[in-house]
Amino acid sequence: MKVLIIEDEKELAKSIVEYLSEESYLCEVASTFTEAMNKIDVFNYDCILLDITLPDGSGLKILEELKKENKQDGVIIISAKNSLDDKIKGLQIGADDYLTKPFHLSELTARIYSLIRRKQFNNSNIVQQDELAIDLWAKTVSVNGKAVTLTKKEFDLLIYFIGNKNRVLSKSNLAEHLSGDFADMLDNHDFVYAHVKNLKKKLSDAGCEQYIKTVYGTGYKWEG
Amino acid sequence: MKNLLQKSLNQLTIFAFIVFALSVPSYFLLVDWIWLKELDENNYLIAERIENEFNEQNISDEKLAENIKFWNEIQPVSKIEYAEQPLLKDSLYTIRLENSYSSRKDVIDRFRGLKTNIKINNQNYVLVVETNVEETEETVAYIAMVTLLFFLILIVGFWILNRRLSKKIWQPFQDTLQKLKSFQLNSQKQIEFQETDTIEFAELNATLDKLLQHSITTYKNQKEFTENASHELQTPLAVLKNKLDILLQSNDLTERQYHIAEEMNKALIRSSRINKNLLLLAKIENSQFNNSELISFDTLVIQSMDALQEHFKEKNISIGSHILPDVEVKGNSGLTEVLINNLIINAIRHTVPGGAVRVVLEKSGFEVRNSGGQALNPDLLFKRFSRMSADNSGSGLGLSIVQEVCKLHGWPVTYSFENGEHIFSVTF
Repeated sequence: MKVLIIEDEKELAKSIVEYLSEESYLCEVASTFTEAMNKIDVFNYDCILLDITLPDGSGLKILEELKKENKQDGVIIISAKNSLDDKIKGLQIGADDYLTKPFHLSELTARIYSLIRRKQFNNSNIVQQDELAIDLWAKTVSVNGKAVTLTKKEFDLLIYFIGNKNRVLSKSNLAEHLSGDFADMLDNHDFVYAHVKNLKKKLSDAGCEQYIKTVYGTGYKWEG
Repeated sequence: MKNLLQKSLNQLTIFAFIVFALSVPSYFLLVDWIWLKELDENNYLIAERIENEFNEQNISDEKLAENIKFWNEIQPVSKIEYAEQPLLKDSLYTIRLENSYSSRKDVIDRFRGLKTNIKINNQNYVLVVETNVEETEETVAYIAMVTLLFFLILIVGFWILNRRLSKKIWQPFQDTLQKLKSFQLNSQKQIEFQETDTIEFAELNATLDKLLQHSITTYKNQKEFTENASHELQTPLAVLKNKLDILLQSNDLTERQYHIAEEMNKALIRSSRINKNLLLLAKIENSQFNNSELISFDTLVIQSMDALQEHFKEKNISIGSHILPDVEVKGNSGLTEVLINNLIINAIRHTVPGGAVRVVLEKSGFEVRNSGGQALNPDLLFKRFSRMSADNSGSGLGLSIVQEVCKLHGWPVTYSFENGEHIFSVTF
């Protein structure tokens, strides 16, 4: 799967490429507006990561161009501007998602995963791992065909794990993902433990293999 | 407090009073002196006339003596007496006597007397002439009355002038004052002072203009700096965070290294939080928010409480709420959400496990109460980076943001401590 990273900050682009390359993603980087426009003209991407502030133009302009040409590339805006206006504008023009810097690469990966999944399968979108089946559209989970009822948070957590298979996810990382704006205001991240525990229990009760492993004492990893 | 004109009026009144008071004896002395001088002249004229009239009679000495005796009888205020030797010197004097013409015997009048020599039929006589003079007390009283009248006219005049002056002459000053009062540094609107032809006011306005210009520029620069600095920091923070993410995925990472990386990540979360909050504060102060949306406040409160439910549970905090439905306010929904979240999170953070938090929403305002030990200093509470508790992991900006959001919306926010409860209330 091809991902275009439009980002003028070299180190940031490098990290994203490094992280994504471990998955089956093929990454290309464009660090200027012109470079990005050239690439978009010629190639199609499954996902475009778009920084709004570029040295020679606005990322929103690129987005407008994409939509004008009716391209189907999924777009995730990654911006240092945490302004609501930009977010709304970006989503209105047709971005699929919006992520504010600084973000965890695991968060980005999960978003890319969901986005590509959504784009690829329009009707049924089921992720299967052995006995476990997750319907991303209906937001339902079943083990060996038997439905498992998860809370919204637990389902969210599960998708996050699936999108970051075989990666170490630290407790603070999960806390940030789970409570969004609140996580950075509450320092007690023990609630993550409670959610993971519940998820693990529900899955294993339904007869699912234990994919979630504890690593380094406080981190987690989905093995599979 | 008194106004400037009132103060000067008081001083002027006192001064005028002293001047008028001093003028009373001066006038009296002057008038009395004129009186006496004129009366002395008058007495001499009378003496001369008497002398002439007797001499013009050309009568014998016996007849003269008879006439003088008769004259003395009918003229009680004058007396002619025969004298062997003429007086060496005329004498002028003032005496107080019972007025023999007056019907009332007890009335004492002042008289100016002249004792002089006259010659009738070449014989020496001493003539005494006494003329009634106005009494001292009466003169003083009349002068004082007139003076007082003028004093009153002066004061009333001052007062009327004062009122007109304060309206007219001081009008540019009042205008400047009003504009300064309504001036807000963060609105960044330059004040246009009224044109004036008074040198002092023009100077004042020019000076104020310079001062304000300077303040606005400084303030703007400072805020732009905060915004730019926070913004610039986002990228290196993002790089750091991502590098840590990559580090965590290394296969040869030891558990110790993992924990170090996790601690670094926590510190990073905190710095990006501080950064984000500073940016938010700068943006609120730069008034980059529209605050005229209609917000359903109760929905936001319920949303926030639902989202934070697990954190209440985590700390075993009992939560009570009284939330009135359909509370609608005008404001910015994003910021209002931040306001509600910050207040509730603040309560969660600072309530001991097993404590209680109570959220109250009424038509008139929003209130968050949490159990606590002792009252906090309300002056420091809303200040940036002033931490009130040993827990120093917060950004130190949560309540400052609350205050700024309230300021933007014109909602007063107060802190109080009652019955072992910290109470933060926002009034709409």
